[in-house]
Amino acid sequence: MATHPTAEPMPRSRASRSGPILVPLLFVLAYLAARFGLESLRPGSMAALLVALLPVPLFAWLLVSVVRGVRALDELERRIQLEAMAVAYPSALLIVFSAGLLNLAGFRGEGDWDPPRLLPLIFLPYWLGLALARRRYA
Amino acid sequence: MESRVRVLRVERNWTQAELAERLGVSRQTVNSIETRKYEPSLSLAFAIARLFGCAVEDVFIPPEPERSA
Repeated sequence: MATHPTAEPMPRSRASRSGPILVPLLFVLAYLAARFGLESLRPGSMAALLVALLPVPLFAWLLVSVVRGVRALDELERRIQLEAMAVAYPSALLIVFSAGLLNLAGFRGEGDWDPPRLLPLIFLPYWLGLALARRRYA
Repeated sequence: MESRVRVLRVERNWTQAELAERLGVSRQTVNSIETRKYEPSLSLAFAIARLFGCAVEDVFIPPEPERSA
């Protein structure tokens, strides 16, 4: 039987230093600031444009921290996340397209496309996919 | 694919958590490999074999290929 020298422990990738709470929190705060700020600004003005784009850099930071977080996961955890995303991404597309078609069909409501209203619908399939994948490998 | 990870781990009196720590993976990963719910990547399979001082084919035994009649 061929043998190999005993392995050294494999170093795990470094997790994001920004922390899992801080970056999303800053993004939500920037979004809320922009949302309430826009109420007092003239639509179409340069100030309104700048305030509307205020959360974008924070969202980019959020995106980077999520990618770093995924890279810090081990291979099974990555697969679980991939399977969760495989449920979440098509489901989110289905929700958005169905909502658009329902809008065209005349079923409109005030604030239908408001992110706070859409977010639970987008996250629900992700949580469902995550629960199914975790159960599969438990 | 048959896995001898549990046997080799128990022989060394290691817990799943200890093995996971040595490999730099989660305990869930070790458990899933032992219960054959998850087949590790080639690099992890080699790391496991190296840790146990075995060849990879002594830890993970592939199924016999089906022969056509």
